[in-house]
Amino acid sequence: MRTALAIARKDLRQRIRDRSALVVGVIAPVVIAGLMSFAFKGVENFTYTLGVVNLDHGAVSAGLVQALETPQLRHVVTVRPLPSAAVARSELRAGKLGAALVVPAGFSASVATSRPESLLTLSSDQFAIAGQVTKSIAASFVAQLNADRLSVATALAAGAPPSELSSLAGLASRLRIPLQSVERPLGAHQLKVISYYSPGMAIFFLLFTISYAARSFFVDRSQGMIERMRAAPVRPAEILLGKALSVFAYGSVSLLTIGVVTSLAFGADWGAPLPAIVIGLALILAVVFLTALVIGLSRTQRQAEGIASIVVFGLALLGGNFFFISSAPSVMKHLALLTPNGWALRAFTDLATIGGGFGTVVEPLVGILVFTAVVATAALLLAPRAVRV
Amino acid sequence: MRVLAIARASVLRVVRDRTAMFFIVVLPIVLIVLVGAIAHGVTSFRVGVLDLDSTGPSRALVADLARTPGVTVTRFSSLHALDTALARSDLDTGLIVPHGLAAAERAGRPIAVPVLAEQANSSQQAAAAQVVAVVQREGGRIQAAEFATHYGGGFARNLLRADVLAPRTPGVRLGEEAVRAKAVTLPAGYEYSAPTELVLFVFLTAIAGGATIIETRRLGMFDRMSAAPVSPRTIILGESLTYVAIAAVQSALLVAVGALAFGVSWGNPLAAVVLLLVWCLVGAGAGMVAGTLFRTPEQASAIGPVVGIAFAMLGGCMWPLSIVSPAMRAVGHVTPQAWAVDAWTNLLASHGTLLTIGRELGVLALFALGFFVIATVRLGRTLSAGRA
Repeated sequence: MRTALAIARKDLRQRIRDRSALVVGVIAPVVIAGLMSFAFKGVENFTYTLGVVNLDHGAVSAGLVQALETPQLRHVVTVRPLPSAAVARSELRAGKLGAALVVPAGFSASVATSRPESLLTLSSDQFAIAGQVTKSIAASFVAQLNADRLSVATALAAGAPPSELSSLAGLASRLRIPLQSVERPLGAHQLKVISYYSPGMAIFFLLFTISYAARSFFVDRSQGMIERMRAAPVRPAEILLGKALSVFAYGSVSLLTIGVVTSLAFGADWGAPLPAIVIGLALILAVVFLTALVIGLSRTQRQAEGIASIVVFGLALLGGNFFFISSAPSVMKHLALLTPNGWALRAFTDLATIGGGFGTVVEPLVGILVFTAVVATAALLLAPRAVRV
Repeated sequence: MRVLAIARASVLRVVRDRTAMFFIVVLPIVLIVLVGAIAHGVTSFRVGVLDLDSTGPSRALVADLARTPGVTVTRFSSLHALDTALARSDLDTGLIVPHGLAAAERAGRPIAVPVLAEQANSSQQAAAAQVVAVVQREGGRIQAAEFATHYGGGFARNLLRADVLAPRTPGVRLGEEAVRAKAVTLPAGYEYSAPTELVLFVFLTAIAGGATIIETRRLGMFDRMSAAPVSPRTIILGESLTYVAIAAVQSALLVAVGALAFGVSWGNPLAAVVLLLVWCLVGAGAGMVAGTLFRTPEQASAIGPVVGIAFAMLGGCMWPLSIVSPAMRAVGHVTPQAWAVDAWTNLLASHGTLLTIGRELGVLALFALGFFVIATVRLGRTLSAGRA
């Protein structure tokens, strides 16, 4: 064990002396996660500017304007009063509005007549969803008016005397739609961009350890270091253990530092510390065996660099380290769960949103460990080849 | 001739390096496919539905929601599963059709229909607005049927009456008009991913390739070239040509793959070619600067990609700059990437021409010039020192 520790110490010292280790292990992930946090600050949510052309100024249209300013909609819609539909169209063309709503002159008065005026929604091809939300808001508003009219018509068809039309209309106007939508908060926290990309970037750069460690192994071998170690009373297993320990220590320090820095500086939520640490350690174990596998598969330094690059980028792309996996097609969500980084990201985001402790991370932990076991088996089968000089 | 010989030797070294070829060709294509599949734009809200009633009326409500444009419905069988999907952002909002909906309707009792959304999450609020509109429309026919029951016929019969009468009853209609707006982002899909990945990777490959210059320097090749009757100017020109050649080959490959495999139209051909050439010069210049700035190949290949990715993020290659704050947009335009993406947006989304992207081309040319001046001065110093 002492031999293995000495080898690990030497590898770590070498790594720390090269400044690129600090860049890749800490600075780069923190900078990139920070950039993402700043880029999306205040724009994580869907919002748009709605132009409102109120040519009516009656009681009903006042109700509509009021409806746009409810607490629920205030976060989504910024209302901008505009003088005419023509102005609204030109603002939409210039990309300054998400959508517009036009209330025609005489709208309030027409609602009580048999030929009510129509509301007009103007939508932009660049902001399709803003147009749809505007239509929904307008539809919700007119739903009660139209339900009242339909109630009168159905009552007449059911046998109410037509002579009582005005009293029917009066009664109907006091009705309320019986299906009342009530908003209920989620049983989870909202996932912040920074809470996704902090672990995302930390894991991506942790994967780079595979390239670095595999390369350092072949550099050692080409310099006759492995040969000299073999000449000493050092077993191959101790050489491999030493290398593995250095990867494990470097990975742990890198992940922990990024976790602490992004939490304190950018408010990233990594969830409960202990389960998060367990997932981090399991992931680093997977990285250790992936490194061993790359070394086992390669014959030269060049080959090791090539295989490591494909492994690192392949895993990062499949696991969702570069983009929100939730917006990916479902086949990609399934593929992400074939990677240890995909499982780790799921664990960190579940801890940050659903919360909970070890119960939340059991499934991801099993996922990572199964992957690690498969890779470890392959690596151990190939290991003797690598240290055979 | 000597310039070409130097360039040829350097290009051959890169082409023979399989790892380099992975980053130059394979990785950009994989990313074009992945990002193209994901960047489909927000075209609909994802609504999760938990139907606890499972009756005719509850199924009718869900079916009505599923028919609504801009809404994609996924059915769930437990509240926990629905909550988890919302927490993971797999959904934008959730609708719980309560147990007893049909019974309440028949009895004329009002019933609450929960829509899951956080007050502070506007995406969820926007999606919830769509769901609420459908619930209210459905509720309108129930209100009518109940009201009519006071005047004759049963509830079920009046519900049928209301359904028949609804399309014939003149109500407040919603008129719609679509306006064609100025394009602020690239079109969704591959037309978004292909130009942005091209901008990202030509630059990234070039600055990571700075390692080649460092290696050339470390192997003493510059010194050996200097010993021959080759002027520093020839060496610098030869090295520059290497970067331009690699960037041009990479760009041509990505354009061809984009057009042939993913049907990307690269806009006005003349403008696209000029833009590509100018971008190759920017990339080549940046690569030369990287080659003279970093000390070891390890530094170049560790720090280079980080700078490349950070610039790509700032410059709108990872997400459209139209969604970030105006301050971040301004900061983004410190990078050449933002100008290149602006130019591609103009060409692809607004059918721009050489004239309409003139300003962007001018700024990019200045970036290229600036990079080459810095690189030439620094490399010139190294070569002169070697000669001395």
